[in-house]
Amino acid sequence: MFNLFKKIKQTDPIVYLLTVFLLIWSVINIYSASYHEYSNLYIKQIVFVSIAFSIITFLPFLIEYRKFGYISFYLYLVSVILLILVKFFGVSILGAKRWINLGFFQLQPSEVAKFSMIIFSAYFISNTKLPLSFKDFLKIMGLSAIPFILIYSQPDLGSGILVVLPVLVMVFLAKFNIKYTIGFVLAGIILSPFIWTHLKDYQKNRIIAFLNPESDPKGTAYHIIQSKIAIGSGMLTGKGYLQGSQSKYYFLPEQHTDFIYATIGEEWGFVVSFLILTVYFILSLRIFYIGMKTNELFGKFLCYGIALIIGFQAFINIAMNVGMAPVVGVPLPFLSYGGTALIMFSLMIMIVLNIEYINKKEGFRFHSQDTLNY
Amino acid sequence: MIKFNRLTFLILILTLFYFALAGRLFYLQIIKGEYYREISDKNYIKIFYSNPSRGKIYDRNGILLAYDVPTYSLIAFPYIVKKNYTMQELKENLKNYLNIELDEKTLNIIKKNLYPSVVIKKDLTQKDIENFYNYNYLFNGFYLEVVPKRVYTEEANYLAHIIGYVGYPSEKELKKNPNLSPNILVGKAGVEKIYDSLLRGESGQKAVLVDAFGRQKKVLWEKDPRKGNDIYLSIDIRIQKIAFEAFNSSKHPSGAVVLADPNTYEILALLSYPTYNLQKFYEGFSQEEWKELTENKYKPLMNKVFLGKYPPGSIYKPLVSIAALEEGAITPETRISSGSEFRIGKWVYRNWDKRGCGFINIFEALETSCDTFFYQVGLKLGVENIVKYSKLFGLGERLNPDLEVKVATIPSKEWKRKVLKQNWFHGDTVNLSIGQGYITITPFDATKIVVPIANGGYVLKPHILKAYFDNKSQRLVHINPEVIRKINIKKWNLDAVRYGMYFVVYGPSGTAKALKTVPVLNAGKTGTAQVYSYDIRKKRYHAWDFRDHAWFIDYVPYNKPKIAGVVFIEHGESGGKVAAPLMAYILKRIFKEKIIETK
Repeated sequence: MFNLFKKIKQTDPIVYLLTVFLLIWSVINIYSASYHEYSNLYIKQIVFVSIAFSIITFLPFLIEYRKFGYISFYLYLVSVILLILVKFFGVSILGAKRWINLGFFQLQPSEVAKFSMIIFSAYFISNTKLPLSFKDFLKIMGLSAIPFILIYSQPDLGSGILVVLPVLVMVFLAKFNIKYTIGFVLAGIILSPFIWTHLKDYQKNRIIAFLNPESDPKGTAYHIIQSKIAIGSGMLTGKGYLQGSQSKYYFLPEQHTDFIYATIGEEWGFVVSFLILTVYFILSLRIFYIGMKTNELFGKFLCYGIALIIGFQAFINIAMNVGMAPVVGVPLPFLSYGGTALIMFSLMIMIVLNIEYINKKEGFRFHSQDTLNY
Repeated sequence: MIKFNRLTFLILILTLFYFALAGRLFYLQIIKGEYYREISDKNYIKIFYSNPSRGKIYDRNGILLAYDVPTYSLIAFPYIVKKNYTMQELKENLKNYLNIELDEKTLNIIKKNLYPSVVIKKDLTQKDIENFYNYNYLFNGFYLEVVPKRVYTEEANYLAHIIGYVGYPSEKELKKNPNLSPNILVGKAGVEKIYDSLLRGESGQKAVLVDAFGRQKKVLWEKDPRKGNDIYLSIDIRIQKIAFEAFNSSKHPSGAVVLADPNTYEILALLSYPTYNLQKFYEGFSQEEWKELTENKYKPLMNKVFLGKYPPGSIYKPLVSIAALEEGAITPETRISSGSEFRIGKWVYRNWDKRGCGFINIFEALETSCDTFFYQVGLKLGVENIVKYSKLFGLGERLNPDLEVKVATIPSKEWKRKVLKQNWFHGDTVNLSIGQGYITITPFDATKIVVPIANGGYVLKPHILKAYFDNKSQRLVHINPEVIRKINIKKWNLDAVRYGMYFVVYGPSGTAKALKTVPVLNAGKTGTAQVYSYDIRKKRYHAWDFRDHAWFIDYVPYNKPKIAGVVFIEHGESGGKVAAPLMAYILKRIFKEKIIETK
């Protein structure tokens, strides 16, 4: 008989339990957020959560994360092909072609790209002489630019940024020359006016609205204001489950995807919204810690990449919800509705659990100086 | 020991992020929580007002004068409309299906979302309403509101000035009275305004949970509208109609009639002539009609009964007589030699009748309206006493502050010093004693002279409301007569004045013989008030607005008065020849049609 508790102890129980906690919350909140309009949405979410649960519960013991390394380039290729396919066969929702309809399921290739980009860059870095040379830096950046451009043109700036950002930070962690790093950051700042001219109008509006939400309360800034009202009106303990007026009466847009956190804030108040913020923080820190413990470079950078994407994505989404970041369309990991994202994130957690499982099995211990000296 | 390396740097940034977000959550939910909770409550609770039906207005016999009918107004919520349709679509839908041309102003309100709701069209036709429901998918964010509309009956046109009109409350009124809602009808003038609190009723309120598309989700609480109380005016519309027809058939362009019950001071008829169409006034005149009304020199829009101030002339004499008798200046037996003129130094005061009056007493003086008699009596009495009795009768005072607007100006020594910065001369007293000079009164004030004479010295509160039906207690509440004060007039003094007034009608030299034709004994007094001095008048006597004003006050029956009133004809030339026949016409018809029983 499969002994769950005993098995979980062999991986990392903190990462596992925090993920399960988030999965349970996702069902609870998708039910609330779709209560009025799409009443069967939570059933789909239950299906995906069950798949995700199976992935993180059983797969860590059945696979070997290093094998992902061997197929990482193919994964990269597949996601690029999917991103090209979505250009031609994509389903257009609200003016953006982001999904491929598979009949039973709408695949979101950008989510696949995020996942494969982390694996691919971790593999790339772990098989390169460190510290990273400028030539290798250009190589990996060039490779990540392809999915970025494809996603950006969907248009989906948020996912595009999330494809590149973990790669950039991983490069930074791979001891890429600090002078170049600073140079690139400065270059980015200098080039931003140029980038600005290439942004779509709605993207510009979102940034303007973020900088001054009261400028246009019924237009773009509407999202930010309504989300702030939703969260703020939750006060300490919230309005009660299914009682959120902001979300139930459609003042809050995208409440089951990008703005699910506002629904939580409204219905459960500061207590739970703070708890969930903390869960992401601890989860991210814990995965970083597992990465630090891992000697093997591919595993180490995988953990860093995964910790980064979960941490970043959660924080950017929450910042967006509380009005501290422009609305860039970044969903909340595990909690936002979306099958592809949920499966991809649980695959990432599965990899982390597998790394820790192998670490424990092979008796690797934390000696940080060995392979990578910061 | 944690070493500072790139990873710890990264984790540090992440930690900073974490605290920033946690701090932000604390700020939004704990510090500003109350504020956002309030906003979110307003966000989804909308208050809909339902308008009460306004109380009906009846005359004293229950003849309907004003009532309500429901109409439908098309209201738009700009915020929702904007979300669903482009401006072009909106224009086309409204034009094609409801036949409404959207003007730029309304379009701008919708486009810029200036107000939470905006009235697109009032008073929709039945066909429009059907179309609205049939094509309701084209009108997301619109709704129909029931708006009561006032309807005035044909009879109500006879007392347009008294009924007044209704309208929507102004910003100021809304601020002042928290019970008002923007779509409730409130009285703006006349009885509609005076008794607005009785007539208005209370708005119903419905707090509804609405979503961002304006769809109603759930009724949180509901308060039904409370119907306004029906009121019964003291006006008898039959008498009012007779008064109107009297004017209409007389060819006199401008004037007023007030008839009251002297025992209660209930106003039975109150006409300001010419008048206007009440329903049209409420619904709005065309530009030409409005121009016609406002530029008409006979001032149809002005209620002359309360707003016009004219010299009273000889109708003031009964009051001066009572003062003189009571103050002992004369007795009923006192005879005074009254010639054709009276001199004070170089100033000459003429009698209206060049023949003079002879050696006469108070009865004859009233009968012939002898000016020279009253010049002498007035001087003996003194201006202070004339002012004192004027005040006792209620001249210059609002006996019913709701009803009266302007009041009489009774000149006194103080008044002249204060207003004209001049001293009082004997000539002023002489003029005042025949109701000329600085004195001006409203036609309503004229009834204040005659009512106490008719009822034996009681100064009552005049009222136009007889009763109202209280919806709360389901009872008819009568308005009781209210005595403000009693003027102590000795019976023989009062009888002397009454007798004089009787002789005005029945005496051999009476100035109002026209009243003889009234089948019931009555008493009155004519008044012909100079507007311009004799010399000026002579030059332009043909011009209407240079002519004298004609007055006639009367009470009937002589022994047990039931009606007391005044006829005033602006620039009517002669009280006896013009005003008195008009009063005679009115009274004759009242008795002929048995509106007032006499036994």
